[in-house]
Amino acid sequence: MTNCESSELNPGPCRTEEHRLHRRLFLKGLTGGALATVSSFSGLFHNRVFAAATKKAQQHCILLWLCGAPSQFETWDPKPGRPSGGPFGSIATKIPGVRFSSLMPKCAGIADKLNIVRSMKTAQTEHFQAITLLQRGNPERAGFVRPTFGSALSQAMGQLDSPIPNFIFLDPIPGGNEFEAFKAGNWAGWLGAEHAPVRLGGDYTQFLNAATQTIPQHDRESRETLRKFLTAKYERDRQSGVARSQNAAFERMKGLAASADLFDVNKLPAKDRERYGPGSFAQHSLMARSLVEHGAPFVMVANGMNWDNHVFQHEIHQMLVPELDRVLFHLISDLEERGLLDSTLVIAMGEFGRTPWMNAARGRDHYPNAWSMMMTGCGLKRGVVTGATDADGVDVIEKPYNEQNLFATLFTALGIDPSAEYDLPGLPTFHRVEDKAEPIRDLLA
Amino acid sequence: MKLTLIHSHELPAGVLGLAVTPDGHRAFAACADGALLALDVAGGGAEAFEGRHQSFASGCALLPNGRTIISGGYDGMLLWHDVETRRCVRRVQAHPFWNWQLALSPDGNRLATVTGQYLAGGWKYEPAQETEPSVKVYDTLSGDLVAAFPHAPPVLSCAFSPDGQHLAAANMMGEVRVWDLQSRADDKPAAQWTSPDFTSWGTIKTHHYCGGIYGLAFSPDGTSLLGCGMGPMTDPMAGNGKMTWQRWNWQKGERTDQIKDGQHGSGLMEAVAWGPDGKHFVMAGRQAQGTWNAAVFSAADGSLLHSIDTKQRITHARFTADGQRLILSGAIGQPKRTGELWPPWGRLQIYRVEA
Repeated sequence: MTNCESSELNPGPCRTEEHRLHRRLFLKGLTGGALATVSSFSGLFHNRVFAAATKKAQQHCILLWLCGAPSQFETWDPKPGRPSGGPFGSIATKIPGVRFSSLMPKCAGIADKLNIVRSMKTAQTEHFQAITLLQRGNPERAGFVRPTFGSALSQAMGQLDSPIPNFIFLDPIPGGNEFEAFKAGNWAGWLGAEHAPVRLGGDYTQFLNAATQTIPQHDRESRETLRKFLTAKYERDRQSGVARSQNAAFERMKGLAASADLFDVNKLPAKDRERYGPGSFAQHSLMARSLVEHGAPFVMVANGMNWDNHVFQHEIHQMLVPELDRVLFHLISDLEERGLLDSTLVIAMGEFGRTPWMNAARGRDHYPNAWSMMMTGCGLKRGVVTGATDADGVDVIEKPYNEQNLFATLFTALGIDPSAEYDLPGLPTFHRVEDKAEPIRDLLA
Repeated sequence: MKLTLIHSHELPAGVLGLAVTPDGHRAFAACADGALLALDVAGGGAEAFEGRHQSFASGCALLPNGRTIISGGYDGMLLWHDVETRRCVRRVQAHPFWNWQLALSPDGNRLATVTGQYLAGGWKYEPAQETEPSVKVYDTLSGDLVAAFPHAPPVLSCAFSPDGQHLAAANMMGEVRVWDLQSRADDKPAAQWTSPDFTSWGTIKTHHYCGGIYGLAFSPDGTSLLGCGMGPMTDPMAGNGKMTWQRWNWQKGERTDQIKDGQHGSGLMEAVAWGPDGKHFVMAGRQAQGTWNAAVFSAADGSLLHSIDTKQRITHARFTADGQRLILSGAIGQPKRTGELWPPWGRLQIYRVEA
């Protein structure tokens, strides 16, 4: 049993305010005897009974964003012995007849809990455009900025009054070339700043503590009272959507500061930290699990553009893939043990794959023609491998899927209608996923 | 000093290891398809050995008797081959991970093999410690392991001293260790130092390490050690670090010379080899930017004497015993599949060396 029945949670056309999830939880809160303590809609989440119910019903998503793009040959679609195969072998998995790269023994052991798509076929060959495509799920339309997946989920699944942001982005690396350019852009698009990510991780997390450490408590309260008065007045007088968004973002940050410990790697259990591995990606993946346990709807973990191995492909993938293998094994096992896997969608993917041919710099280059990704958890079957590539991994030969099929699958798995229209007065009609794209039905529970 | 191309041959897969008979008439190529090939240097005819590696063949060493050649591979195996029959006569699992490089002692009695997987060992992706000795020495006659030394993986390169008494091995972090094979006091290195000039940690894009010392060679008089690679980069994926060699007084662990400013381009240098008379050495690899990817340097002052652009990645360089030929192995970027066929991407080039 999952919490993902689309008939129950399907929000229909999205509106920025009352979301079906919240209304359903509102009713739950009432029937739970919480009515007496509820004085306002936003106050619901201060009620313990209601908060507990919310936490239980909340769906989550963890996106391990393998930015730079991992090689499908060294992960989910090995071709050992072929000219494209590279130096690493393959190993049998829990799924009969299915083999993973020999760099992924732990995932091979839980392959029956994973789903692999081996037939992703997309059109963008450069990072920035491909990240945009695979973060927003649809081709660009000039003049309009579509929300990223995290922002769309923030709107569709987020809690109204949670101290934990609805869209958390953990990435400790400030640079990252094309990814940095993307990160500086507009994540939330037409949904507004309240659905933009709160970026933390690494040194960024220190900012959380910095404010509280430098300003005395009484001074903070005075400043806050004044800020609230002025910004509320501005928002009311000017009917300003921008001010509303900024105020919402400020409230988020305020709540965030109160939850600073959740973002402190050093506060994570030592044994868990050891299990996940010492690297910054592994530690932030563990943090993502912890945040989901504390109710975060969407957490995206990245680590710069580590996977973009135009140089030293095999020399670097020999380290990155085992780290990913270890992280996925523990993350999925932990979520399952905690009863959270049925309500948490876990995705591991980049923006495309790598070329079947090696360049002269010992690297593999960008390849959107045939690549692989993994998803499991909420709303999905387990142990399915769908799509196929040819013997060399050059072309998709079975069930090609693009970014729209992918996003239709992800939304559907989370009980969100992928074909729903956004409510955008004055703008053209936009849907969560355009062109009535079909989800990958092989994977849907 | 001048290098003139006299033969160029295409091979099915990239060449990662090279051995040459002293007269330079035959060459042996360890290839990325796992094969070991014997080649007629002048005519280019190639014959495959029966035994293959289950991954890339990464190196090969021809024993002085000319009858046995030993290959290493990314499958961690060492294969002994009979040169005449081209049959595999012995298989030894040297490592659970790659053999990165082989080195043969001058008398042909000892074969060194280096290994090590780069695994995350810290927040910044410092390499994890080894779980098995990263440097091993085998008896080439019996195939027995005769020595094993600890190092910090991955260990990329190794070389014997001309008298065969010392073995040097270098890793991704630019750390060089030299052992005395005769005294072997507690397996502690006789010398050990680290050069920071071969390793990258990406301040943008890639927060991990890469690079290292890809080639090592003792000078013919045994007093100095030469190492090559690529200088640090802020974006390692640009592959445009400075073409780099450094020369050390290995007994003191002190750098005595390095490539001169204005004489280098950028790109990974994988091969170093001394001319038999010890008056010059060659460094070669891949050119990312610049005018050459193989160059001859003076041993006296380290200045560049001659350079060429071979339009390929060079993995190994070998002089013939008389110093009159230089043989380079390597690869071009792997071409795309044409229909069902993969065009050849291994290369072997023979140059005439003129003073």
